[in-house]
Amino acid sequence: MPRKPIKLPANIEYLSVLDENGKVDRELEPKLSADDLKKMYRYMLLARRADERMLNLQRQGRIGTFPQSTGHEAISIGSVFALQKSDWHVPAYREFAGMLYRGWPLETLFLYWGGFEEGARPPEEVNDLPYCVPVASQLLHAAGLGMAMNIKGDKKVVLTYFGDGSSSEGDFHEGLNFASVFQAPVIFVCQNNQYAISVPLSRQMKCETVAQRAVAYGIPGIRVDGNDVLAVYAATAEAVERARNGGGPTLIEGLTYRTTPHTTADDPKRYRNEEEAKEWVTKDSLIRFTQYLAAKGVMDEKAKQALEEEIDHEIKESVRRFEALAQNEELLNPLSMFDYMYADTPKVLERQRDELSDHLRKKKEGQTKAGEHGGSARKAVAAADSPKKSK
Amino acid sequence: MAIEFKLPDLGEGIHEAEILGVKVKAGDTVKEDQPIFEVETDKAVVEIPSPVAGSVEKVHVKVGEVVKVGTVMITFAAVPAAVGAKASTEARASASVQEQAAAKQPAAPVNTGGNGKVPASRSGRVVPATPATRRLARELGVDLSQVSGSGPAGRVLKEDVRAFAEGVPGGQVKPTAAPYHEPSGEPFIAQPLTAQPSELPDFSKYGPVERVPLRSLRRKIAINMTQSWTHIPRVSSFDEADITLLESLRQKHETSLLKHGGKLTLTVFALKAVVQALKQFPQFNSSLDESTGEIVLKHFYNVGVAVATNRGLIVPVIRNVDQKGIAELAAELTDLAQKTRDGKIELDRLQGGTFTVTNLGPIGGTGMVPMVNYPEAAIMGMARSTQRPVVRQNNNIEIRWILPLAISFDHRIADGAEAAMFLRHVAGMLEDPLQLLVEG
Repeated sequence: MPRKPIKLPANIEYLSVLDENGKVDRELEPKLSADDLKKMYRYMLLARRADERMLNLQRQGRIGTFPQSTGHEAISIGSVFALQKSDWHVPAYREFAGMLYRGWPLETLFLYWGGFEEGARPPEEVNDLPYCVPVASQLLHAAGLGMAMNIKGDKKVVLTYFGDGSSSEGDFHEGLNFASVFQAPVIFVCQNNQYAISVPLSRQMKCETVAQRAVAYGIPGIRVDGNDVLAVYAATAEAVERARNGGGPTLIEGLTYRTTPHTTADDPKRYRNEEEAKEWVTKDSLIRFTQYLAAKGVMDEKAKQALEEEIDHEIKESVRRFEALAQNEELLNPLSMFDYMYADTPKVLERQRDELSDHLRKKKEGQTKAGEHGGSARKAVAAADSPKKSK
Repeated sequence: MAIEFKLPDLGEGIHEAEILGVKVKAGDTVKEDQPIFEVETDKAVVEIPSPVAGSVEKVHVKVGEVVKVGTVMITFAAVPAAVGAKASTEARASASVQEQAAAKQPAAPVNTGGNGKVPASRSGRVVPATPATRRLARELGVDLSQVSGSGPAGRVLKEDVRAFAEGVPGGQVKPTAAPYHEPSGEPFIAQPLTAQPSELPDFSKYGPVERVPLRSLRRKIAINMTQSWTHIPRVSSFDEADITLLESLRQKHETSLLKHGGKLTLTVFALKAVVQALKQFPQFNSSLDESTGEIVLKHFYNVGVAVATNRGLIVPVIRNVDQKGIAELAAELTDLAQKTRDGKIELDRLQGGTFTVTNLGPIGGTGMVPMVNYPEAAIMGMARSTQRPVVRQNNNIEIRWILPLAISFDHRIADGAEAAMFLRHVAGMLEDPLQLLVEG
C-alpha cells in the first residue's frame, strides 16, 4: 500500500511563431502559399474595419448592443483556416473574422446585431452554427456534432470557441468531458482575452493556463500566442489532422487581450487600468502580420492600400444593403417569431399567433380610420411592442 | 429634407444620458461618422458619431443636460446634392430607423415640454409607492412625483393617487369631527397641508446668482441621500468611549506600522470593534427588502469607510474585515483612502458594503448625526476625540481621551435599545484594547 506519485501526460507547451515585431521563427513557420497568407490578412482586416464601423452604427442607434471582435481576429482566422469547407464551425460571439471567411455576408451579421433573427441563419452550403451569446453553451453543441460525426462515420471535424470566462462554466466541463470520453473530433479554441466582462483572469482561475485543463480530460492541450495568426494556424492544423484521423479532441488556448470594452454597453475604465490595454495594442496581430507579409514580399504598401479601399467600399455597400433589409416588411413582421422554434407549431402558440395577428390587424384598421398616413407593419410593430415595454 | 437624430439606447436598456460634450454647432458641415456628441449613460461615457454627412441645422441639447432616449438631439439640414444619391439613401434609412426606435419607447405619462428637457423635480426625486399604486397612477395618467403621499415615510397610497386624479391635491380630506367654527360663529375650512417642496423664489432679485448643474458624483450623492432620507426611517443614538489606553498603544506602534505601508489610525481599531459588535447584533449588518418584506442578513463583514475627496464624498469598501489583522487593515485602509482621493479607485472596491464608518475626527466636531448609506441598515460616526476631565473610581477626576460616537440606523429593522447596546459594545472594545485584539 504505497503512496507514490501518479504519472500524468502533463506536457503543456506554449507556441509562438511570429513575435511582436513581425520576426518569424523559420523552423516553426507553417507552409502557407502567398495567396493563403493574403486571404488570411484580408479577412482579418475586413473584420477589423467592419468592427470599427459597427461601433459607429451602434452609437447612431442603427444596430443594437454588440461585442467588438477587435483583437480576436488572429485566433479566429488562424484556426478556421485549418478547416475544410465541409467541416463544422461553431463560433461564440467574437469570431467575426472567421464567419466572414466561412461565407457569412456582412449584411447578414449586421442584421444579427440589428436584432433580426434572420441574421442567425447560415448561408446555404456553409456548415456553421450561428453566433452563440450564452457563454459556453456552444461547447455542448460542438461536442454533440463531433459525436454525430463519429456515429455517421463522417470524416468531418468540428471547431468551436469560448472565452476565459466560459472555462468556469459547467458546460465547459460537460463539453470537454463528453468529447474526450467519446473521442469526438472537436477542437476547442479558447479566446483567452483575460477579461470576462469585468472579471480579470486572476479571479477566473487559480491555475496558470486554460490549456493545462486538457490534462484533466486526457486530451492534448497547448497555449499559443493569440496575436500570432501563424502560431494559431500551426497548432490548429495539427489538432485538425489528429481529430480527422481518430485522435479525438484538442484544447487550444490563444492568449490575447480585449483592448475594447466587453460590449458597447460596457466601460472598462471602471474596472481596469487602461495603460494595460494600451500596452497590448502594440502587440496587435495585424501590426506584426503586416510586417511579416511585407518582409516576405507577399504584400507591399500599395497592395495594402488597395485592399483597404476595396474593404472600405465593401463595408459601405453592406451597410446600405443591411439598412434596406431592415426596412423589409417581411423581416419586420413580428408574427415570424412563431415560425422557427417548432416543426409543428403547438396549439398554444397557434392561439397566441392568431391573437397577435388579430391585434395587429385591428391596430392597422384603427390607424387607417383615424386618417393617419401609412399604417404600415412597422408602426404596428412599434405599437404592439409598447404594452410589454411600458414601465 | 431635414433629418432629426434622436438619442438611441446606447446600452442595454438605457433610459437617459447626460450630455458631456457637443462637438458641432449650427451651420457646421459634418462627415458621416464624425464625432458630434459625448454623452455619459449609467454604463459608460461614449462618443456619438454623426449618422449622416451634411450640415447642422440645429443642436437641441446642451452640455450638462440629461436627456431621455428618443429625444431629438440634433437636426441636419438637407444633405448637399454633391454628396450623391447613395449618402441620402443611407441618411433616409437611418432617419426612419431612429423614428422606429423612438416609437418603441414607452410614452411619457406627462408632456415634459417642447425641448424634451426633464424638469429636475421629476428626475431627481424618488417617489415611494407600491407597484400596484404605480400601475394605478399610470392608468389614471397621474404623475406620481406630483402627488404627496399620506402613507408611512411619505409613501404614496392608492387613495392619494385617486384623490389627485379627482383634483384634490395632497389626498382627500375626510372630516371626522364636527366642522370648526370661529368664536364668531363663522365656519373655517381647513386647507390640506401639502409636503411638496415649493418653487424656488427668484434669488436674482436680491443679488447675482449662478446656476451649476448637479453632475456626476454630486448627482449620485444627491440621489443616494434622497433615497436614504425617503426610504429609511432613521434614528440616531450617541455614546462616548474612553480611549486613553488605546491612544497610548496606537501612538507607541504608529511608527513601526508605517514601515508596512499603513497608518495606524483610530479608524483601523474602530473597524475591528465594529465587526465584533456586528457579530453580536447582526441586524445592523443587514438590509430591508421592501419588495419581499424580508430582512436580508449578510454573513460577511464588508465595511465602507467614508472618504472626503475634492469631488465629493466616496465610500470605498474594505472586504472581510473580520478576516484581516490590524496591520493588514491599516495598510489596506491607507491605500484605499489614497486611491479614492486620487480618483483611481476601482469600481468593485466601491461596492458590496454591509455597514459604513465615518470619521470626522481629523476635521473636528463634537458630534454628528450621520446619514445611513442606503441600502445598508446602519452607519457609525466618530467625532474628534479630546482630553476631558472624567470622574473615575473613588470619585477621582482624571484627564482622559474621550471619543464621541454616534450611530444612525434603520428603525424598521432595529430598535433604539439595540443601537445603544451596539454602540456600548464598540465603546467597550475601544476602551479595552486587549479584548479588541483577543476577540478581533
